[in-house]
Amino acid sequence: MKFNRHLRNKSGLHLILMVVSLITVAPYFWILSTSLKFRTEVFTQTPKWIPWPINIQNYLEMFEMAPFHLYLLNTIIVVTGILGVQLVTITLAAYVFARKNFWGKEFFFFLFLTQMMIPIHATFLPNFLTLKHFDLLNTRVAMMLPFFASGYGTFLLRQAFRQIPKALEDAAVIDGCGGLRFLWHVLIPLAKPTLIAFSIISIVSHWNDYLWPLIVTDTPEVRTLTIGLGMFVQQESGADWTLLMAATAFVTAPMLIFFLVFQKKFVESFMLSGVKG
Amino acid sequence: MARVIMEKVAKHFGTVQAVRDFNLTVEDKEFAILVGPSGCGKSTALRMIAGLEEPGTGTISIGDRVVNDLPPKDRDIAMVFQEYALYPHMSVYKNMAFGLKLRKFPKSEIDQRVREAAEILSIQDFLDRKPKQLSGGQRQRVAVGRAIVRKPAVFLFDEPLSNLDAKLRVQMRAELSKLHDRLQTTMIYVTHDQVEAMTMGTKIVVMKDGWIQQVGPPLEVYNYPVNLFVAGFIGSPVMNFIPCRILSKGGRLLIDAESFQLPIPEKRVPYYQSLIGSEAIFGIRPNDIYDRAFAPEHLKGNAIRSAIDVIEPLGSEIHLNVTAGKHNLIAAVDVQTLYRVHQEIELAFDMNRMHLFAKDPPNLRIKTEG
Repeated sequence: MKFNRHLRNKSGLHLILMVVSLITVAPYFWILSTSLKFRTEVFTQTPKWIPWPINIQNYLEMFEMAPFHLYLLNTIIVVTGILGVQLVTITLAAYVFARKNFWGKEFFFFLFLTQMMIPIHATFLPNFLTLKHFDLLNTRVAMMLPFFASGYGTFLLRQAFRQIPKALEDAAVIDGCGGLRFLWHVLIPLAKPTLIAFSIISIVSHWNDYLWPLIVTDTPEVRTLTIGLGMFVQQESGADWTLLMAATAFVTAPMLIFFLVFQKKFVESFMLSGVKG
Repeated sequence: MARVIMEKVAKHFGTVQAVRDFNLTVEDKEFAILVGPSGCGKSTALRMIAGLEEPGTGTISIGDRVVNDLPPKDRDIAMVFQEYALYPHMSVYKNMAFGLKLRKFPKSEIDQRVREAAEILSIQDFLDRKPKQLSGGQRQRVAVGRAIVRKPAVFLFDEPLSNLDAKLRVQMRAELSKLHDRLQTTMIYVTHDQVEAMTMGTKIVVMKDGWIQQVGPPLEVYNYPVNLFVAGFIGSPVMNFIPCRILSKGGRLLIDAESFQLPIPEKRVPYYQSLIGSEAIFGIRPNDIYDRAFAPEHLKGNAIRSAIDVIEPLGSEIHLNVTAGKHNLIAAVDVQTLYRVHQEIELAFDMNRMHLFAKDPPNLRIKTEG
């Protein structure tokens, strides 16, 4: 009797989860489906969920109308560039805040925390003027530069470094490690889960950046996927939904694939940021 | 030659004086144990030898060199920590090889040293495992192995057995003693466990509040403690201390503890003559107190009446917590009979093993030798 009730409860839960999943996945499925349809099949009296025959010409036309391959390359360069420099800056900053003592340490760390609380929109204008001063507008560097340092990443990694026992540092010092060697050989390997979690958050967040790249770039050569899609939507406004959906599917696909491959790490990273942040 | 000399070394942390006027020489190949209660400065002293703490004043020499300004890696020392301090992400092999790799030793030599050390410690089957896959005793052996591969001039041990269970501790004590015999290298060992100090070292350094109380071979410190603190710290169970007055009666000197009186042996009289009429502290180890019914004949005259409060049977002996008048005592007696709580028994004292300490700090022992 107990087992049947348990089974009933579980079945009910699974049913609810299936319905919610369908609702969540439906829009993307519609995007994919529409991207493979012919124009005349988009608005029909009875919705056609699975197009047949499929039409891949939409994707080919999409690439002819706008350089999405270039937008993809720009996005990869910007995201990996930001991440690469961030990993260096947050590692060094977190090491110093976690393991060293110096005058003003608490005050400087407080400044780092304060940076997390300032909304990014409040810094757009001063950052724009700085980049303009250094003649860096409309470059990939312009999209990356304000994000090279991360207060959030420094905070996360500092917490991870602080959990590593002092005895390990003593042992490393006796083995012959100076500060940077200890960081490289011991701290970074032990903080790998935190570094992976932060990397995922950084990649996802900067892949989807729209406003800042829009402000600092205005030519297709440096455009990223989000801006490219935005421009494409304006271009194709009210015209060809199959092309628009093909472009949307293309822009969202990399992050979806990334999520599918690293989904366990995704969940861990968001839990970590939730617990620590 | 790996003699370690600390001269006038002192260290403070803020207002806390952790180590004061520390003067110690550990000879080459000696196994010196720094022992004392928590917070006495023994670990700080060890860390200063290692170079992990800077002395406030004084000089530290290892071999022929003053090492005050040398970083730990250049002092030719190796250290074993209480928490093992193994790198969790490295295998046992890599943990042991790490120091040598940083010093750019050839791979072949690293491999040879690691496997030699692993064989000495019987951990050759664990070289591919990570520390989390090992038991506490195995991890400690890996930590020792990491020190051995360095072939240092001095081994430093900071309470390495504290995290092990009692049985394993006994086993590892013997292994470390054997290791010292085998390697013939200077070892300096820190512990709060006086049993470890007594059983392992060739020299004990007893510390309290940053000061060295006494330095000497284990039996010398046990039999001739310099003061009340050393007498109470070394030896298990703890020595009994009874406030008393020295009296002269009928040509004999007596310990007068109000509730009872005990005669002082003739050969001790010259040393205690000057104390007649003075107050002092009488000390006697539990092992030197006998159940009068089973005591040697020559001790039966030195007996007092007492009542048993607590019985602690240990198997090989019994610890009796007794009350004699207004004094509480512990007697470690042989297992000859069954005892009952509240039972009245007569206890005989081996007064040839008695100690007298000055009533006022630093409570020095009245010497009866030399």
